[in-house]
Amino acid sequence: MRITKRLLAVLIGAWLPIALVAWWWSTSADSTNPYFPPLATIWERFIELWFSDQFLINVVPSLRNLAIGYALGCLIGIVGGALVGSSPKATAYLEPFIDFQRSIPAVATVPVFIVLFGLDFEMRIAAITFAATMPILISTIQGVRDTNLVQLETAQVFHLTRSQILWRVRLPAAMPLVFSGLQLGLQIAFVVTIASEYLGAGFGIGAFTLIAADSFLILDAWTGVILMGLLGYVINIVFDATERISLRWYIGQQKLS
Amino acid sequence: MSTEISIEHVSMEFRTPEEVKHVLDDVSYSVTPGHFVSIVGPSGVGKTTLLRILTGLTQPTSGHVAVDGVPVKGSPAGLAVVLQDYTRSLMPWLTVEKNISLPLLNEKLSKAEIKERIGASLEEVGLSGVERSYPWQLSGGMQQRVSIARALAVRPRLLIMDEPFASVDAQTRFDLEDLVLKVKDDFGITTLMVTHDIDEAVYLSDEIVVLYGKPAKVRDVVPVDVGASRSQIETRNSQRFADLRTHVYAMVRGLE
Repeated sequence: MRITKRLLAVLIGAWLPIALVAWWWSTSADSTNPYFPPLATIWERFIELWFSDQFLINVVPSLRNLAIGYALGCLIGIVGGALVGSSPKATAYLEPFIDFQRSIPAVATVPVFIVLFGLDFEMRIAAITFAATMPILISTIQGVRDTNLVQLETAQVFHLTRSQILWRVRLPAAMPLVFSGLQLGLQIAFVVTIASEYLGAGFGIGAFTLIAADSFLILDAWTGVILMGLLGYVINIVFDATERISLRWYIGQQKLS
Repeated sequence: MSTEISIEHVSMEFRTPEEVKHVLDDVSYSVTPGHFVSIVGPSGVGKTTLLRILTGLTQPTSGHVAVDGVPVKGSPAGLAVVLQDYTRSLMPWLTVEKNISLPLLNEKLSKAEIKERIGASLEEVGLSGVERSYPWQLSGGMQQRVSIARALAVRPRLLIMDEPFASVDAQTRFDLEDLVLKVKDDFGITTLMVTHDIDEAVYLSDEIVVLYGKPAKVRDVVPVDVGASRSQIETRNSQRFADLRTHVYAMVRGLE
């Protein structure tokens, strides 16, 4: 029963993408416009390109950059956010800066990292890390700051140390909010992964797509765009699954109340 | 195992920009080791404030509190608490066994010893087989049993309970009251409980402290002489029980 229900939910959600692809497929079938080749042709080229060693050359480096940058961002965001959020003083000192920072689009900071790190691997990792860190930091600060008083005092009365209270009570209690920051951070990190390859990179999925477009390899550029979309989608699915497992206690509790 | 608590000339004022609220005025009382003592009084009289001072969460404006002769600064050693709000007091992301072992983090116990304590505590409160459940998967009464098990797992010398049975249904309440009596018989832990329920206070206590007035003073200390063994039917139907309950009720309502 649960599986058929799940399947039905997926189908209900999928009608629009399916309809759009079908519409694209049929209306582009006879296209002779070089900028808008038939979707069937794009798909053929897609299979040819991305089921070859091109995947290793262009996709793996991008995903590796994303993974390293995002992991660093999670670490800095969660640890830093927990430390800042547990101290009212640190929050007061840092909040104005963080509020200012959050109003700058992450992509706009890429040039700053080019100035600092040049056009290499380090620049890309730094830019992705920074982009991922900010939303995670903000949501962790909020979550840790607003720990429920009963939980906090229970831990105090049972003689937990300050650091035990932070890592074993305040941070776990904040996880539902932290996860919203983790999701936003991942989405922004993905965008910056692609954008960071627009300058000075010879390979990577963003670089590949841009170079293909500049070289009038329109078909290749289209496959790059589609691949980015699919990658983003798959990354989100993996994230949702991780969240569901990690926050099982929270989801279960919400369902009951 | 049990502990002497002395409250000496404790006064408490809360200062806000608009006013000074004088809550407790020169409260003095000593708890005999091993006794079960209830604190009763009208709503808002400062019962919970007094408990918070005893747990070290709040400092009194003047006077002091000592446990076994040691002045309370921070939570006293050997203290365990059971609070009314079990949904918050138990950590929802931890399973029952992890909740119970949370206060044991700083006691140097081996894994086997911790497991032993969890098992023994759950057995004492009549809850076996829920080790891997989350608290929110259990009924309110069961959650409060977990909360009592957590308190017992630290082998406390002093147990403080703030309206522990106020959020469960009447039947569960009787069961939990009898559980607390059993714990008292088994371990003889010095216990202080705040309650609104005067019947419950008479049923469970060796002594009842009545707080009354604004600011609150100790109106009376009533020894509960209804015998050492209590039963929901006989004790509650005895004449002495009725007399004590009427006496305490009259004081709480300011009629006596």
